Amino acid sequence: MSQRITIDPITRIEGHLRIDLEVDGGRVSKAWSSGTMWRGIETILQGRDPRDAWAFTQRICGVCTTVHAITSVRSVENALGLEVPLNAQLIRNIIISAHALHDHVVHFYHLSALDWVDVVAALKADPAKASALAESISSWPGNSTKELAAVKARLAGFVAAGQLGPFQNGYWGHPAMRLPPEVNLLAVAHYLQALEIQRKANQIVAILGSKTPHIQNLAVGGVANAINLDSPSALNMEKLYKVKDLLDEVSGFVTQCYLVDVAAVAGFYPEWFKYGAGVTNYLAVPDLPIDAKMTRFDLPGGVIMAGQAGVRKIENWNDAFLKANVTESIAHSHYDGDWQRGPWEEETVPKFTGEWKAETAAPQKYSWVKAPRLDGKPMQVGPLAQVLVGFLTNDPLTVKWVSAAISTVKAIHKIDVTPAMLHSTLGRHAARAIRTAMMSELTLKHWKMLVENIGKGDTSIFVDPMPKLQSGSYRGVGFHEAPRGTLSHWCVIENGKIKNYQCVVPSTWNAGPRDGHDQPGPYEAALVGNPIADPKLPLEALRTIHSFDPCLACAIHTHDADGTEHGMVKVL
Amino acid sequence: MRGEGARLARFSVIGIGNVLEGDDAIGPTVVRVFESRYAAGDDVAVVDGGTPGLDLTAYMMGLEGLVVVDAIKTRTGTAGEVKVYDKKGILNRGPMVAMSPHEPGLRESILHAEFQGVSPPVINLVGVVAGSIEFGCRLTPQVRGAIDGAVEAVRAALQGMGVATVKRDPPLPPDLWWERPQHLPT
Repeated sequence: MSQRITIDPITRIEGHLRIDLEVDGGRVSKAWSSGTMWRGIETILQGRDPRDAWAFTQRICGVCTTVHAITSVRSVENALGLEVPLNAQLIRNIIISAHALHDHVVHFYHLSALDWVDVVAALKADPAKASALAESISSWPGNSTKELAAVKARLAGFVAAGQLGPFQNGYWGHPAMRLPPEVNLLAVAHYLQALEIQRKANQIVAILGSKTPHIQNLAVGGVANAINLDSPSALNMEKLYKVKDLLDEVSGFVTQCYLVDVAAVAGFYPEWFKYGAGVTNYLAVPDLPIDAKMTRFDLPGGVIMAGQAGVRKIENWNDAFLKANVTESIAHSHYDGDWQRGPWEEETVPKFTGEWKAETAAPQKYSWVKAPRLDGKPMQVGPLAQVLVGFLTNDPLTVKWVSAAISTVKAIHKIDVTPAMLHSTLGRHAARAIRTAMMSELTLKHWKMLVENIGKGDTSIFVDPMPKLQSGSYRGVGFHEAPRGTLSHWCVIENGKIKNYQCVVPSTWNAGPRDGHDQPGPYEAALVGNPIADPKLPLEALRTIHSFDPCLACAIHTHDADGTEHGMVKVL
Repeated sequence: MRGEGARLARFSVIGIGNVLEGDDAIGPTVVRVFESRYAAGDDVAVVDGGTPGLDLTAYMMGLEGLVVVDAIKTRTGTAGEVKVYDKKGILNRGPMVAMSPHEPGLRESILHAEFQGVSPPVINLVGVVAGSIEFGCRLTPQVRGAIDGAVEAVRAALQGMGVATVKRDPPLPPDLWWERPQHLPT
């Protein structure tokens, strides 16, 4: 007998996402992913000055502020064909990377670790044993017996007071939880340390972006960070070295703690390398440009189809295949019509045909998210896509950190993990940790490049877009390989004003519904075949969805249907 | 509004909300109007926090006192009503700070800070009951009419924490850039 489960909403971060599952014989047989809000940024941007767009797009999502700001200026610069000074590229790159470090650390420790870690079980741990275990696999200094005993005592105090605080929604004692008490204790300790580390990563963004959570230093054509090594108000040596100190600390945590924790946890759940592959078409765009013309990049981009080893490389942001073949379908989305169009030609006319009623079959239109496609195919985006593209094209940095992750799992668990196993729920977590290690190394590299370039006497930070902008028609697209995957902002400009503006965001690629050919999106496909031990507590489905790092306020072109229900797990 | 210096502050006033979503902009609006009318000392950081989700924890770590301004929804309130809650009231569920995607945020962020032992001892929420949170950059007249009262509630909350504020005379123009139709000065 098949059962239907609704999880609404699933995300612990922003946005409203609803997942409907059909479970048959203890496994998911069909899944639907729907966003329950809508957003139409173009209705706000139409008629505005393209130089202002980034300030507005930065407000689309409160967690992904920086990424929407950067992508917007890139979009207008691409439309105008501007070259952006090297200093500006590097400053932006360091901001982007620091944001990614922050975001990935938060995702693992604060948003998804509870799917694998049983916090209450940490109370049974022996701090000395936990410390010995940790110190056998990592040189991270935060694993002393004293520190771990203090964490255990704090946890015991909270539990004794009947307050599980931030952990109260966890799945304690669920049969799918399997870590030894000592590993649970280490995870809780690192959760606490990660709070401090993510704050340090954000301080880098604040120093260079002049504020967080909304950076202020961007401009179409460059950045507004005046460079003067001796001036207290400009970007000077003191600020640059503060950035370096913070970066060293964050980097240490990422390579000695985060990567090791993911390897340690993964080895206890090896079957999760088998579940959750779903759509094995992958898209990643190149990012971290290292020249003014944006011809060379430190993060490689490419397209993988059907899990094949062959990669169609994307060399730069003017890739003709990419520009011509991204479309969005609204066949199953709450918009007027049934078209599949490129973002420059899209319009957003909402047409809500009613809620999906419990215990009924899926209606034709069931999501506020559109279904993006590349060359007609659903694509998975995110750290896994980027790591696979880098690995299969022999990018040295990617290969180095994939190998490091594999040998860490082997050292801890004596099991062999292969790159092919990355097509999975755990593979997405592993790839995110690998990418974070890569980003920490690249941030340092770009910091050095910036200091060297300034040392050569280059203080240029901005080119004026106005000579081109004031008249004429332009179409442009800005790309960014954001923490959740490929982000693109598509703009149409006429005589200095925005005529159309569409954001195709990572969570739209991953969380989008079926298209006009009934091809499911990556969330929907990845859930099929997942075991569900207890339909009342579908922890396994949460594991797969959280592995994508959902952030739905961004994903959806929009806003709250009723906005009052929270944390509901309905069993129908 | 300060950025990197904010971490040195002992007190903070944080406006929460999405300026693109109608009355949800009231949090950012109130802190910006507050800052244009009152000068607080160097140890007070005034922050337009947007919709930070769990990132809010980082902004409250180690503070002696925190004032949060946000749009709220209550069972009995009417649009534009200003209500002030203390930490206990916030953690007791109390108001649903639930209008928009940044929820769950405030309660969870405080709980994370509590667990880590870095939660501000005093927290006040200045809540303004929202009317409409339709997409767009405008407040409803009822909520716009609540700005003065909410700004005074922020000032009073700071005073309750022993923080003095000085009225600016004349006040500065508040930086509500999202309400302006045309090009923003850079």
